[in-house]
Amino acid sequence: MALADFFISLLTFVTIYSLFGLGLNVKFGFTGLIDFGHVAYFMIGAYVTVFVAMPAGLSETYEGLTGLGLATAFAGVPGGDLLGWLVALVIGMAAAALVSVLVGIPTIRLREDYLAITALGIATILNAIFHNERWLFNGAFGIREVHEPLSGAFPIGTGSFQLNLLLFGLPSVAILGYAAYRTAKVVRPLSVRPALLGTGATLALAGSVVFVITTMTGLVVDLGVFVLNVDNTIAFVLLVGSVVAGRAALTETDHIGALLALASALLFTLWYLGQPLVAFVTEGETADLLLNLFWLYDATAGSAGGLDYDRFFFLFTLAFLVGAYLWVERTVNSPYGRVLRAVREDESVPEALGKPTFRYKIQSLMFGSALAGAAGGLWAANIGFIDPTQFASTVTFFAYTAVIIGGTANNRGVILGTAVFWVINSGTRFLDDFFPSEYAQQLAALRLILIGALLIVILYYRPEGMLGEQDYDIDLGRGGVSDD
Amino acid sequence: MTEIQNPILDVQGLEKHFGGITAIGGLDMRVGEGITGLIGPNGAGKTTFFNCVTGALTPDAGRVAFADGDITGKRPSAVAQEGLVRTFQIPRELPEMTVRENLQLAPRGQSGERLAQAWLRGDEFADDERRVREKAAEMAEFLEIDHVLDAKAGTLSGGQRKLLELARVLLTEPDMILLDEPLAGVNPTLEQKILDRIHDLESQGYSFLFIEHDIDVIMETCERVVVMHQGQVLTSGEPADVKSDDRVIEAYLGEEV
Amino acid sequence: MASAGLLDALLQGLITGMIIAAGALGLSLIYSIAEVPNFAHGDMITIGAYLALALNKPGAIPFVPEFGGLPLIAAGILGVAVAGSTGAIYEVAIFRRFRSKGADLITMVIVSLGLALVLRNVVLFLVGSGNINYDTERVTNTNVELYLTGNGLSVQTVQRQAGDLVTLGEWGYGWLSLLAIVALAAAVGIGVYRWRSDDASFETVHLVSPRIFGIASGITALAALATVLQGAPHTIDAAVWSTSVGVSIKYGVIIGLTLVTMLAMNLLLKGTKTGRAMRATADNMALAEIRGVNIDRVQLVVWVLAALLTALAGVLTGWFASNLNPNMGFSLLLPIFAAVIMGGITSPYGAVLASLIIGVSMDVGVFLLPAEFATYRTAIAFVILIGVLLVKPEGLWGDV
Repeated sequence: MALADFFISLLTFVTIYSLFGLGLNVKFGFTGLIDFGHVAYFMIGAYVTVFVAMPAGLSETYEGLTGLGLATAFAGVPGGDLLGWLVALVIGMAAAALVSVLVGIPTIRLREDYLAITALGIATILNAIFHNERWLFNGAFGIREVHEPLSGAFPIGTGSFQLNLLLFGLPSVAILGYAAYRTAKVVRPLSVRPALLGTGATLALAGSVVFVITTMTGLVVDLGVFVLNVDNTIAFVLLVGSVVAGRAALTETDHIGALLALASALLFTLWYLGQPLVAFVTEGETADLLLNLFWLYDATAGSAGGLDYDRFFFLFTLAFLVGAYLWVERTVNSPYGRVLRAVREDESVPEALGKPTFRYKIQSLMFGSALAGAAGGLWAANIGFIDPTQFASTVTFFAYTAVIIGGTANNRGVILGTAVFWVINSGTRFLDDFFPSEYAQQLAALRLILIGALLIVILYYRPEGMLGEQDYDIDLGRGGVSDD
Repeated sequence: MTEIQNPILDVQGLEKHFGGITAIGGLDMRVGEGITGLIGPNGAGKTTFFNCVTGALTPDAGRVAFADGDITGKRPSAVAQEGLVRTFQIPRELPEMTVRENLQLAPRGQSGERLAQAWLRGDEFADDERRVREKAAEMAEFLEIDHVLDAKAGTLSGGQRKLLELARVLLTEPDMILLDEPLAGVNPTLEQKILDRIHDLESQGYSFLFIEHDIDVIMETCERVVVMHQGQVLTSGEPADVKSDDRVIEAYLGEEV
Repeated sequence: MASAGLLDALLQGLITGMIIAAGALGLSLIYSIAEVPNFAHGDMITIGAYLALALNKPGAIPFVPEFGGLPLIAAGILGVAVAGSTGAIYEVAIFRRFRSKGADLITMVIVSLGLALVLRNVVLFLVGSGNINYDTERVTNTNVELYLTGNGLSVQTVQRQAGDLVTLGEWGYGWLSLLAIVALAAAVGIGVYRWRSDDASFETVHLVSPRIFGIASGITALAALATVLQGAPHTIDAAVWSTSVGVSIKYGVIIGLTLVTMLAMNLLLKGTKTGRAMRATADNMALAEIRGVNIDRVQLVVWVLAALLTALAGVLTGWFASNLNPNMGFSLLLPIFAAVIMGGITSPYGAVLASLIIGVSMDVGVFLLPAEFATYRTAIAFVILIGVLLVKPEGLWGDV
């Protein structure tokens, strides 16, 4: 898989899980509800969307309930399959919200720890039901007949190579440029010395990794066995240098966020453009560099290249994420959101002031679950196959980790935290190539150990997460003078 | 014992038990307009009485009427909607929210508190919010906490928390306010300030039921005093009469009066 | 040939309940004294089981040097002991720090979740996700078959050896002796209960409550009498009712070990200075500290004890099911939480009783329900918990 393709799939994952995390943030961040069963609504959203869209009799191995076939119901209308799928998604969201009410009414009055364990239990039971009851949604065999909206229309292109490159390539470069600009704004407050030290530390770290993995390529190494040779010695020296420089940079500045942003940007550039740049400089090879820079353009899509379905689907999910982000922002930046946060801080206060907190908690649960449901519908269409093992409780815990890393009660933090989580969890998968394949499971476990430890460390040193709680401002429209 | 002719709060036969312990045992109380003091030795059941009246606890028996409506066993929010609100003995500020937000939370009937309004935002949304902001700012000024409006409520001093607690309750524009020891742990200057404000508000038509330990304060402030003892009303009436009542002195024996 | 029935399910459930109880006892200590709703409890069970595995079958774990392995008993004891020290690590490295920062309940929940993630993946990292079992002798179940005939009760013990059913023993009881056994056992039980509750004044704290003492004596008497009064077997062709109960040495070991452990815990909590300090801390941590209780020491003891108990549960589960996998603890987490909440968080005795109720309901429930519901064994525990919480949101026995 080309690096750009991997980049796209990683971005799509982050987008979908961010949407899932936004739903969790509504419940946990803004209302203080510990719903350890959040994944259940992700699962329900996925299954119901697929079920409603799925036409009957597509497959002989499917023995579940007959699909409602909404994907083909609007076949006469242009873009009818998208319309049918959207209706299915709305039904999926509604189903998730509905189930959350049924779960919430008896449990939401419970103490926070009781709520957590009950929600976890209900999610586990629901998963067991989806797993065991083949008559329902084909049980453990899962559903392969997932409708992927508009997939028939792709890849699209203009037929002209140059025009395609322009049409899809330019926005790609523009987006990268904008990201660079935003990163630069964050990094700006850093003075020269710590910036140089940070750069040095990052480059040394990257260099050390490069030396280690190059010596391991093709070698049968046992984990834990460290061969002393020239490369490894250089790697070790670089690593020590990196730590020393990193420590120095950290002690010299208060802008730790800026330093982290700088290091992340450097690492991303090295990861994404490093090898193509080397190829370009040493051999004049431009293909890889262009492919990575013009990441929205897929050269293999049709004779003249174009926008393939995966790239389209990323943009599609991104639109959902932006919509959900604005929707949640609108909700929390309102007197309604103020009551939600009051419930989080001390439920008895809004209750004593005349706010029916039970209703607020149920609504928050429904809203958050509906967003999880939407994420589920997108997940299914992205993967093209669903089965109950994709919806284990660990997915909920990952989302909590992402929300807490980024900043509880901060919608941008959710997206940042989700990105950090999945970069650690999946973005580092390229390192697997340098280890014998039987270690893949070990490396996956190692990442999760790292993430669990990171969660505890963040909770201890920076419980508010990377970004901290967001600021609130209720927009009063024209003439409204904000005083917050 | 003088009887109140037109009670706002009318409690009859109230009972509350915890396991085998009787906290309130068949209590009758009528509270009228103005400032009424509620005193009694520790463990007399004053706070439990507040909790039962405002719905934080469900009484085991009895009837609570407020402004001619039955509020027995209603949820606290429903009781507050009727215009009967309470403060907490230990102030419950919302620590991660600003003082301003703590105050803006309080006013009743904000249209933006409904989910549909928060999403759709009709015309009254902005109007209501402007009104809420103004009222919150005025109240902060009235209770002299306007200089800390943008601070997180968790950073306030003890006295400021007491004022915030009072301000929040006032912002709901209730008919009657149950004050649970608003002066406990407050320095004399602030105590006078709070009492002054309570008098100001009384003249604006608010009624208060006021738990306080310091009998002298009660004597100065209240038109009427109710004495609770062992989960029942011992006596009630004019402060001077109550103070000289033998039963009251007996009930307080062993305590500082 | 009799088939397994309710009695068999009941015994199975008792074993399940005993294993849950070992976990629940530890969780109730952590929950009430350390005030941590410990979501890592299930994975602590897994860690305990795998620590014993590392000593019992070192070859199964790549990072452990091959040394042949210890017999399961030694490996189990050593593994549990090592697990105890991991409890100390959790407390000192993690929970003590958060406690000193005054972390709230939600934070503690999430911290324990992080720990759970680390522990589970440490197992995955070191051992992998496959099923594995201890290197120990296979234990064959013996079926005790009971036949009720016109003349009384007849008992056969049957074992499957090399594919064939072999009858090991056969005896019976007449109606009269049956009646006598039951009546005498009941009399002993009630008598002991009376004697224990009469001899002491109201204030006396019983190390073992009279009720439990009575029930234990009754059961002992029943077993003794049943052995002594064995008679000739009856012809079983005309049996009006029959049932088969599978038993093995595992059952006895599990029941015995957990009972001894509970007794030891009981002794510790009621009879020692540390125990009194623990109970005072559970009651009110701030007050206990003022009265001179060394909170850090108490918490350390709590975490070590809990880790020992979880490890015991882990080894027993792995041995009983002849199967270890990285999910084994997590699947016990729900029933354990259910038991602790149902039994009242601060009551270890309530937790044990609730564990037995939950264990029995899980296995009896699976027996009574149609076969396709067998996969919902854990769900049964949960339905009970939700039912209890709906009726009494503070738990069955409350926070007493």
